[in-house]
Amino acid sequence: MSSELLFWLNLLVGVGIYTLLAASLNLINGSAGMFHLGHHGFWALGAYGATWMTLQGGSLSGPVVYVSSLIFAMAIAALGGLSIGIPCLRLRGDYLAIATLGFGEIVRIAVQNSPHDFLGGSLGIQVPRVLMKVTPKTLVAFRVLTLSIVAVACAAAIVTFRNYLRSMPGRRLLAVAQDETAAGLLGINPTRSKVLAFVMGSAVAGLAGGLYAHYMGGINPLNFNFMEMVKIFLIIVLGGMGSLSGCAVGAFLVVATEQLLNRAPEAIASWWQVLFPLILAIMIIFRPQGIFGRREIRDVWRSWRRRTA
Amino acid sequence: MTALFEATGLTKRYGGLTAVANVDMALGKGDLVGLIGPNGAGKTTCFNLITGADAPTSGTIRFRGEDVTGARDFQMARRGVARTFQNIRLWKEMDVLDNVRAVCHAPEACGFASAVLRLPRFRRAERAVTAKAKALLERLGLGDVLAESPADLPYGDQRRLEIARALALDPELLLLDEPAAGMNPTEKARLMETVRRLREEFKLTILLIDHDMKFVMGICERIYVLDHGERIAHGTPDEIRCDPKVIEAYLGSEC
Repeated sequence: MSSELLFWLNLLVGVGIYTLLAASLNLINGSAGMFHLGHHGFWALGAYGATWMTLQGGSLSGPVVYVSSLIFAMAIAALGGLSIGIPCLRLRGDYLAIATLGFGEIVRIAVQNSPHDFLGGSLGIQVPRVLMKVTPKTLVAFRVLTLSIVAVACAAAIVTFRNYLRSMPGRRLLAVAQDETAAGLLGINPTRSKVLAFVMGSAVAGLAGGLYAHYMGGINPLNFNFMEMVKIFLIIVLGGMGSLSGCAVGAFLVVATEQLLNRAPEAIASWWQVLFPLILAIMIIFRPQGIFGRREIRDVWRSWRRRTA
Repeated sequence: MTALFEATGLTKRYGGLTAVANVDMALGKGDLVGLIGPNGAGKTTCFNLITGADAPTSGTIRFRGEDVTGARDFQMARRGVARTFQNIRLWKEMDVLDNVRAVCHAPEACGFASAVLRLPRFRRAERAVTAKAKALLERLGLGDVLAESPADLPYGDQRRLEIARALALDPELLLLDEPAAGMNPTEKARLMETVRRLREEFKLTILLIDHDMKFVMGICERIYVLDHGERIAHGTPDEIRCDPKVIEAYLGSEC
């Protein structure tokens, strides 16, 4: 019973963290229309940033260290987004994809080659438990607590993105994504809109990294390899580029598939690495707009009710 | 009287090709001026230079007495130079209202924090912008299609939506790139009426490109004629109609 509960709690925490990653990637790829393939880099920056901050925490109380390390994770990822955003966002399409992919890999490889006493190098690094003591007895409580925090973070991120997109700066961003030339000639500064979206997206990926590090209790560079980027990308393609509810649904489908496959015998479990790119290819051929397209759950519900009424 | 807009020695070279060569142009406040010439004469390049979409190779541009040579497109737009496009460039994934709202500026700016937290400041700005966009769309006869996608509108309405969107910038100078292209005679007559009316109502200065001579001659007070990037004539419609150089380069012997 308890192991079953633990399994589902773990799965839902995963869904939450991937929802954050997908929603933030969606802001950049779906809404802002930038082909960005380095999101795992911002995730890693956040995770390692939070870990480093936690190690500096010393005698401060646990929750204070926890919260400040998350803020630091967002800040450092946002800074990373800003520093690669400004030079890279002049690039378009494939070129931008290559440049950002390069960034994602640089972060991982830099950490891999870092000194052991700084970020742990290729062996990974332990994250001190600051939220609460984690023992086999308190594991359920720890996971429930983490799940609640992750759920709040998801809700906050989604509401932020939604409100942003339905405001003046948000409409300007959508205009830039659809026709940058027209936007510029109508008084919109395209670089400013794009950099802002990029920085917001990377900050939220950093937050996901911080939550992930604290949840796992230990991270290593392989947690942030390119396969993770494929996974996040699959989620937004599945859910629908530009749809925030699509991110949550896509994250659930992908994480649940992966975790359920993981329970299967070894020979089957490793097939997810084949399965995910395959689903990606099939989706792009047969339903490129994803499950939701640009719509949100509310729109789907409304049109369904209209049809059945 | 100082000119609202003044270009001197405007030149644009692309490699060995000179698209615009040493063109002088001046527009006074309230003018309605045409820019004509055969295909490839450099008319649209001229528009690109005026709006900052492209930087001139040499020459200077002054707007409202200020030297604005080399200003970027969005900077020119904010200074009050708006344009429509030869091939319609609406934002097709936004509805008609949002196409205009994306361009409007609120009297008080609404920053990131007030937008995300939906503070009263955001609501005020949003109300102001929505009211302004709706008023503009209504004046252009698009008040009934606010929630439609621009792609679903008839061609003439799409052109008018482009004008509404340009007017959302509160421009002083409006550039219309082939506004009558693809319109039938009735629509053209209506467009002439609209352009005249808008000039009065919004106190605009208008510079337009078109190939329909009846339209251009019927509406413009002055005309510049370009050929191979050079200004070959400038004058009233009557002067242009009988200018031998223009007849040879562009009009043919219809006079």
